[in-house]
Amino acid sequence: MRSGGHSDPVALDETISREEAQWVMRRLARMLRPYRRKIVIASVLLFLQTACILAGPSLVGFGIDHGLQTKDYTVLYTVTAMFLGVAIAAAILGRFVIIIVSVIGETFLRDLRERVFRHLMGLGLDFFEREKTGQLVSRMTSDIDALEELVSQGLVAIVQNILLFVGAVIVIFVLSWELALCTLIVVPPLVYVSNWFRTRSNAAYLEVRDRIGHNLATLQEGLSGVRVVQAFSREASFTRRFSETNEAQFAANLETVRIASRYFPYVEFSSVVGIALIIGVGGWFDHEGIVSVGVVAAFVLYLSNLFEPVQQLSQLYNTVQMAGAGLHKVFGLLDTKTSIAEHPGSVDLPRAGRLEVHDVSFGYTKRLVLEHVSLVVGEGERIALVGPTGAGKSTLAKLIARFYDPRSGVVSFAGIDLKQATLQSLRQRIVVVPQEGYLFTGTVRENIRIGRPGASDEDVVAAVAALGLTARLDQFERGLDTEVRERGSRLSAGERQLVSLTRAALADPSVLVLDEATSNLDPGTEQTVEQALEILMKGRTVVVVAHRLSTAARADRIGVVDEGALVELGTHAELLQRGGRYAGLYRAWDSSHAQAHTVDGIGAGTATT
Amino acid sequence: MRRAVRPHWGWATLGIGAGAFWTAARVSVPLMAGIAIDKGILKHDTGTTMKYVGIILLLGVAQAIATGLRRYGAFRMALRVETDMRQQLFAHLQRLHFAFHDQSQTGQLMARANTDIQQVNTVVILFPLTVASSLVLISVVTIILLTSPLLALLALGTLPFLNIAATLFTKRMQPVTLHLQEELAELSSVVEESFSGVRVVKGFGAESIQAAQLDHRADRVLDRSLDAARLRAWFLPLVDLLPTVGLVAILGYGGTLVIHGQIQLGTIVAFNSYILMLIWPLRMAGMLLGQASRSSAAAGRVHEILSTDPAIHEVAGAPKLPPGPGELRFENVTFGYGNVGTPVLDGLDLVLRGGEAVALVGATGSGKSTVARLVPRFYDIDSGTITLDGVDVREVSLANLRKSIGIVFEDTFLFSDSVRENISFADPEADMDTVRDAARLAGADRFIDALPEGYDTVIGEQGFSLSGGQRQRIAIARAVLAQPRVLILDDATSSVDPTKEHEIRAALREVMQDRTTLIIAHRPATIALADRVVLLDHGKVIAEGTHQELLVSSREYRAVLAQAIGSDADDPALDAAALLEVPDGNGNGVGHGVGRANGDRNDDGADGIGAGASGAGDPVGETAS
Repeated sequence: MRSGGHSDPVALDETISREEAQWVMRRLARMLRPYRRKIVIASVLLFLQTACILAGPSLVGFGIDHGLQTKDYTVLYTVTAMFLGVAIAAAILGRFVIIIVSVIGETFLRDLRERVFRHLMGLGLDFFEREKTGQLVSRMTSDIDALEELVSQGLVAIVQNILLFVGAVIVIFVLSWELALCTLIVVPPLVYVSNWFRTRSNAAYLEVRDRIGHNLATLQEGLSGVRVVQAFSREASFTRRFSETNEAQFAANLETVRIASRYFPYVEFSSVVGIALIIGVGGWFDHEGIVSVGVVAAFVLYLSNLFEPVQQLSQLYNTVQMAGAGLHKVFGLLDTKTSIAEHPGSVDLPRAGRLEVHDVSFGYTKRLVLEHVSLVVGEGERIALVGPTGAGKSTLAKLIARFYDPRSGVVSFAGIDLKQATLQSLRQRIVVVPQEGYLFTGTVRENIRIGRPGASDEDVVAAVAALGLTARLDQFERGLDTEVRERGSRLSAGERQLVSLTRAALADPSVLVLDEATSNLDPGTEQTVEQALEILMKGRTVVVVAHRLSTAARADRIGVVDEGALVELGTHAELLQRGGRYAGLYRAWDSSHAQAHTVDGIGAGTATT
Repeated sequence: MRRAVRPHWGWATLGIGAGAFWTAARVSVPLMAGIAIDKGILKHDTGTTMKYVGIILLLGVAQAIATGLRRYGAFRMALRVETDMRQQLFAHLQRLHFAFHDQSQTGQLMARANTDIQQVNTVVILFPLTVASSLVLISVVTIILLTSPLLALLALGTLPFLNIAATLFTKRMQPVTLHLQEELAELSSVVEESFSGVRVVKGFGAESIQAAQLDHRADRVLDRSLDAARLRAWFLPLVDLLPTVGLVAILGYGGTLVIHGQIQLGTIVAFNSYILMLIWPLRMAGMLLGQASRSSAAAGRVHEILSTDPAIHEVAGAPKLPPGPGELRFENVTFGYGNVGTPVLDGLDLVLRGGEAVALVGATGSGKSTVARLVPRFYDIDSGTITLDGVDVREVSLANLRKSIGIVFEDTFLFSDSVRENISFADPEADMDTVRDAARLAGADRFIDALPEGYDTVIGEQGFSLSGGQRQRIAIARAVLAQPRVLILDDATSSVDPTKEHEIRAALREVMQDRTTLIIAHRPATIALADRVVLLDHGKVIAEGTHQELLVSSREYRAVLAQAIGSDADDPALDAAALLEVPDGNGNGVGHGVGRANGDRNDDGADGIGAGASGAGDPVGETAS
């Protein structure tokens, strides 16, 4: 509950300029076209409702003049009945307005969510590497959710308040323009002061938000580092530091209270002045015969229809600003173009063929990460890429899978440039198995099905069997129907890998690009994974980014990647004989493993030489 | 909570007092307006009209001033209470013992200090405001009842339903809102998953599957939102209708009375204003009830923390440590976390002589980290004694004890502050030279000087980001700044990239000179830094000696080390280095078999790939020497 019933403050990056606002409005209008009919209906109903609401005070006034003053019961009761009638009508109309507007708004939001998501999913990998996941999620969730608030609460309120205010002004002018003019004297100052309040309190709330941020940061640091604080006996001074940010937060909050404490008195005073004016001026006019008592009474009732909208609109202004800014960002996303597009005239990749990397150069930024790399992988050949971290082997793997397009050079399969291949066939023929199995919320079966969207249950079962994992996956709580929690936390790392491999099996690719896991799995699962992997690799062309030299040694050929270039390429025996990088690496690794066994052996009492 | 409010009684009184004054003014305005109409306008008596208009204006001024004061008083008091509670909670949390923090999550505590306190505060704010509106409610009802009971009842008739409707609405809305939040959260997680796992999604061309998932979730959000809208659709119009029905009644029945001459016309106008005046107080009452239950739950949670006493007590007026070489003695120490079955330390006996460096080695759960935590009294032992230079640690001033012990934790925690402030954390008054000395000892001075602003560079989450090794060295500098007589290194290299571990080791060697040091480690290279190694198993010492001796004599020792190496299997070149770096009799690490010949500092030679490939000298031979 905020002091003064204020809406959230709006920061500079949450506001939009006039032209941006206009652009958003035009775009919005275009997107709302399918809802034309409903919008018209809602508008009509809203008009009618406002008319009913505004009719009330006039009826009262009429009743007073022509019923009470003239002691006419008929008029009085007719007017009373009519008053009741419009009140009920207003309520019923109001109900429909809320429902229709909500349907329009919420459906629009749903469509917007779906559209934005589909669009984002279609963008290339470079987009996702550029943008922070957190920010993207925020666009799709909190930015669109902010619109939700506008739609559910704000929209109707805004339109209604505007209509009410305008309607009230019109009516009181019709009743008595003289009295209306006098009464309306209070309105411009009120608008002005409301504006002042909004700007000042917005700035003050931004300050509050800022100080809260600092305070929470200090709080969090104090809590996460409490062990260090106690270890060095700094409890007292750290608490003092917290009191600084804490008091700063207090001061900022107090400022907002001060501002509110100046605004609301003015509003209440205006309201009373309004009544005073109506009675005073109205009384004099009545004396002069310009207005009647009934009109005066009606005016008193209309006062609230003038004041409330001004205040409410002022409060809603911020909500609108934020919604506008949010929409602006979301529309911006919709306009982003994808980098990996399917070119017209693309062909499907055939099942069999060689994988050729021809003179490929690539860099994520200006700096090249791969330079003039060429490699030919024969059908069914298994090639291992080794090299230090950051050398470029993972990048090469990504280019092979067409997650990125090379700057120069060509990656082709069966003689077809990957850029000329249909994306669908590409994803079927060349499949990447990442380091760690990434699972989505859902069942094991659903996760496997990701490998080939549209695969049937039998296909899934067949894929599992093909890897010899039927028994193993049955061990899960509910077999293939087990729910893996977020990111698959229900399963162990090894089990996740198994699912990941089954996915690849379901996809049944021609080329398998493997990013070997770096961490060790528990020995039992490790073996199962290795076996399944061997089955998966059989008969397929495999490019494995190896982190274990044992894996490399088992490949048909090994490529050493260092500093963006393929420095060595050959079979295990060839490279060992050459005595280059690979040889050095292998020997060091080999001896350390020998040593590990030796350490155990010392217990036997003899130092083996 | 009442305790928190008491010191700010003044503002509260102002708030309530001004509130009463405000009520009086506010309620009188319609009254005066009514009289003005009856006695002035209807009687065409401009003078009287103006008199009453004047009174109304005065009342307006009074009302305005009063509202300013009452809001200010109420909010100020509430803000003050909130701030004080937060401060109190924080101070208390800082003093609470490790065992408490082991059980709690930072996120949860943050929620207590932030959200819960805010919840409690909402009631504190609402209270004076509710008092004021209740006064309004009571006075209005009294006035109109006195004027014309029947009319009053008719006019008020519908208003209780407003309250009922509000309560019903809130009750029905809560589960709907909850469901909506859940659906939004599900939607958010599909989005998040799809973006985080975009490589997999794109890799398998499974965009359509994810899109279908999202569609499904978005539809559910739509359904829940419309549920909420439907609820609003019956409640909001009702909120406007009910008071209006009251107005209708006033016109109909009141009008009749006026025609009969029983009441005046002005009264009708006054009644209208009164009805409109009642809407807000009624809704407030509903809000307060709803909020009260939430607030008391929140208050309970906050109170739970505040009533937890810190478990590590300090004897009043405890003396400082006497001067000494830093001899640390554990005698028959038994300790267990909480009351979980078997104790972690079971009759531990250990002596560290002044200036000696001892490595504690053991499998996970052997108790080695626990030993490190007991010396600075982060936990109190169950039985036995721990003495430092002959004095039981429990009998010394806690602050002094902790200042005399420098500890480097396994996970480096640095504050979002300048390098200098981080290093001088133990002694903020330390001058620049002392800071520099500490940095030099820790081998950190060179990279610090290379930072954009040197020692004034701000590090931490929003500052400059340092590598794991650099952070650890700053932590080491921090630990030694105050010249502690005992240094505890708790697995200080385990979270560092193996290729950089040697950088730390050099620093560690420096700071350990002539200082009693307790090293908890499992990497052979780090263990090699110590003079003596103690092997722990199930909370007891089962073997002692130098690294060499134990390697030969103790199978358990070898097993523990082998396990440690096994976990580093992903870096083949360094396995060799770590293993091969076996100490000679001087306790210095001997260079690895690959490319050591020129006796350069191990720091730069660790890259097995770059070094010459002259076959690894027979490591086993070195072991045996």
